[in-house]
Amino acid sequence: MTTKEYFLPQSLDEAVGLLADHGPSLLVIAGGTLAMPLINEGVSMPETVIGLQRAGLNNIKRTNGSLAIGATTTLTRMMADHTIPLLQEAAHHIGGWSIRNMGTVGGNLFAPPPSGDFAVALLALDAQVKLVSNNSQRVLPLTEFYTGFMTTALQPNELVSEIMVPVPKGKTAYLKYGRRHANTPAIVTVAVHLILENRIVKDVRLGLNAVGPYPIRAEAAERVLIGTTFDQEAIAAAAHAAAEECQPFTDSIATEWYRRRMVGVYVRRALTQLAG
Amino acid sequence: MASKIVNFTLNGRPVEAMSKPLTTLQAILREQFKYTATKSGCKQGGCGSCTVLVNDEPIMSCLLPVENVEGQEVVTLEGLLQSEDGLHPIQAAFFERFAVQCGYCSPGMIMISKALLEQNPQPSREEIVDALTGNFCRCTGYEPIIQAVEEAARRMNGG
Repeated sequence: MTTKEYFLPQSLDEAVGLLADHGPSLLVIAGGTLAMPLINEGVSMPETVIGLQRAGLNNIKRTNGSLAIGATTTLTRMMADHTIPLLQEAAHHIGGWSIRNMGTVGGNLFAPPPSGDFAVALLALDAQVKLVSNNSQRVLPLTEFYTGFMTTALQPNELVSEIMVPVPKGKTAYLKYGRRHANTPAIVTVAVHLILENRIVKDVRLGLNAVGPYPIRAEAAERVLIGTTFDQEAIAAAAHAAAEECQPFTDSIATEWYRRRMVGVYVRRALTQLAG
Repeated sequence: MASKIVNFTLNGRPVEAMSKPLTTLQAILREQFKYTATKSGCKQGGCGSCTVLVNDEPIMSCLLPVENVEGQEVVTLEGLLQSEDGLHPIQAAFFERFAVQCGYCSPGMIMISKALLEQNPQPSREEIVDALTGNFCRCTGYEPIIQAVEEAARRMNGG
């Protein structure tokens, strides 16, 4: 253990002040479920760590048609909020109970695939992320937050303070396929938000996880669907497009080939749920 | 590497821990307080053998810096003993239903079961499985553990 200092700021102001003072050398943690395993193993040896658990970011606010979720809101707390059932279901698919008591909504944005099964639901809901520093504040769509494998648009002096999620206008579905029923890394996870008007797809968001460097939108599949009649033919075409456009990888859970096959299967199943 | 004093309640008793930055609650429990029921398993949050309760909620003590429990209430398996040789009803049910083989997962299993039965005194089988899913057992095949939790629920409800 080489950590020289562990800060537990009591407010967001104090937290961003510490970030301004210490900059890139500072490791920010919340629930610790991503960072502490690496620290315990000696893979990560941060000199200075800041914990956000006391910074007053663990709350959910409801404002005209959307949820503002504080970054350190736990996944257990998300499961108890009935405003957006898709988010409840996604939260339930992370880890086991103890991990959900620690893991946070903001932290899940930094979870490398195959983790990140909460973030993929946020992606399907057009969530926005609020980034705060000691002298600025900006809001980014989640799609612009991710820049690569374990890299984000976050500047060294910024932290994620809040995630804003509009309450979905259409139907939603969430399917996670892993090697066990629960507490399992994803082979593929699919999150959908679909708006239909007289059986025509008016708008759709299709999020995929564990098949790219970060949770991704299946934009080609979305384009296949928008404006078409929502039938089995459209669903099959979208599933095919999603399998083509995703960027799966091989790890100890599944091969690239298998993940791609399963994207087709699970996108079809998720969309078929919404057709019923 | 300045050490800090952290104050919290451990099994109902106020305690002080001396901690280097980012030392886990698990390490403090085992090394400073010699409360070794809390196991040191994977240290990845993956096995559940280090499960303890903080403010009645189960957490993985291998992932929690002890500084985070300043002013909070921590309960470990040692806190369940009701008298010198008296077992808690969950412990008794684990013993009688053969839910303990090598015993390594048992403290974590019993602590998370305690949290479950406090929040949900009459859980369904599905709710028990859901609560225990982050705690691994490599001996029993889980069935005796699930039955022990069902039995403990009956006893704690006076059945």
